[in-house]
Amino acid sequence: MIQVEGLTKYYGPVPAIMDVSLHVKKGEIVAFLGPNGAGKTTAMRIITGFMPATAGTAMIAGIDVYENSIAARRHIGYMPETMALYTDMRVHQYLRFCGKLHGMRGGTLADRLDEIMGLCGLTERAEAIIGTLSMGYRQRVGIAQALIHKPDVLILDEPTVGLDPNQIIEVRQLIKSLAGEHTVMLSTHILPEAQMTCERVVIINQGKIIAEDTPENLTSQIQEAETIMIRVKSQDANVRGILGDMPGVTAVRAAPDGNAGSYYVDSELGSDVRAAVAECAVGKGWGLLELRPVEMSLEDVFRQLTTEERGVA
Amino acid sequence: MRNVLTIAQRELVSYFTSPMAFVVTVFFLFFSGLIFTFSIYQRGATAEMRGLLGSMVFLTLMMAPFITMSLLAQERSSGTLELLLTKPVRDIEVVVGKYLGALGCYVTMLILTLQYPLLLSKYGDLDWGPAWVGYLGLLLAGGAFLAIGLFASSLTRSQMASAGICLGVFLFVWLIGWVSHLVSGENSLLGDITKNISVFEIFGDFEKGLLDLKNIIYFLSLVFISLFMTVRVLEMRRQV
Repeated sequence: MIQVEGLTKYYGPVPAIMDVSLHVKKGEIVAFLGPNGAGKTTAMRIITGFMPATAGTAMIAGIDVYENSIAARRHIGYMPETMALYTDMRVHQYLRFCGKLHGMRGGTLADRLDEIMGLCGLTERAEAIIGTLSMGYRQRVGIAQALIHKPDVLILDEPTVGLDPNQIIEVRQLIKSLAGEHTVMLSTHILPEAQMTCERVVIINQGKIIAEDTPENLTSQIQEAETIMIRVKSQDANVRGILGDMPGVTAVRAAPDGNAGSYYVDSELGSDVRAAVAECAVGKGWGLLELRPVEMSLEDVFRQLTTEERGVA
Repeated sequence: MRNVLTIAQRELVSYFTSPMAFVVTVFFLFFSGLIFTFSIYQRGATAEMRGLLGSMVFLTLMMAPFITMSLLAQERSSGTLELLLTKPVRDIEVVVGKYLGALGCYVTMLILTLQYPLLLSKYGDLDWGPAWVGYLGLLLAGGAFLAIGLFASSLTRSQMASAGICLGVFLFVWLIGWVSHLVSGENSLLGDITKNISVFEIFGDFEKGLLDLKNIIYFLSLVFISLFMTVRVLEMRRQV
């Protein structure tokens, strides 16, 4: 549904994105993940036909977004990061305006307006002036305007920015519910968001794609060791040494929570030392408080990918 | 075409839900009404629109930047332009739609000033022919000012800068009129050129009730050139 090949964009001599290629299948939810300034917005602006690429092509539903921009745009619902709406209009007025620009008229438009306002939870605010709405409601209007014409492809630039935690959960659920019917591409710099809402994560840094996979695969690919976290009551300095000498254990580190009795125990990939460690802790009378496996978060993956010069195939 | 009307309609509604259109209309009506009142109380005043039309075109010139300054500059600064230009709408449809919206606002102002000729014809013997030609002149001149204003609005994201550019251009157009007065009578090339491109010289013909195709084409070409350049400015973002 979305086919991007070798997309490159220079702002003057500065490359914003370099050779970005990406294929998104129908009904998939894909996240563009990267720090601010990584080129996410630039890529999205090119894909939506707002500006041209210096090199490379982008196709939406088989239509080139540059050569045949208007036709391609009919398939796209776009919510820009700035989330700028006409603040002097009423919600239903604005959505009607957007619908009309997509060639919808009369009864079809009226029905769709009711439907979309219901879906986005805007029915009670239909008469409100957009300028008076809270960020959460504005965001819903932004999503509603992107969905009004039932686009094949939905492109959402930072859809949860500026929302409170409850609203974030609502918006994420809304996005998840759209998958299947719509192909969704969203950008975020919040890692758990990508992990929770998306089937595939594309990590972009300094304008280049550095990794692309399911959240689970990304985590397991980069993982070098199994890690467990153990917390004991004992402040004994020997705990570290004793744990380190256990079979299969490769390293013992202080856990990042800062507690004196907390350790991260790394062991060889595929091994599980939890039972042995528990037995040892109980046997030594350290006072076992906590024992759990540590899964690498996307955050760790991300930090590792962006700070070290290593790529993931 | 439907997109043009959709955008024009949105612009027009937005004018009359914002204070700007009201402020501009009130000033326009206040000053034109004041001048109208002065002119009919003059000794030996005749029932004609000539002097008033000349004042109204000057008022239009002063008001036009305030009507147009927000058209594209605001969309650019608030970011709504990105949303608008990623809808399946051609740049030219956006430009023409916005222009027609501004023109609609101006025509509303003009319609409200029809009270002056109506009063003149009720209490005097107004010759409607020249009055209509004068109004056509107002519509064409105002249309040209608005098109130039829209172009100025496309150049910057600051509304104040856009109004400033616009006023600067208009002031220039006005001064050119002076030049043609200064050198008139001496059959000089400068006099001929300035006379033929001065908005006020050309509007003067309409004011006298003279309908000249050349003059109509002059204003219409100002409109087309300005709108064309505005479209080009919007397209510039598409250049690699």
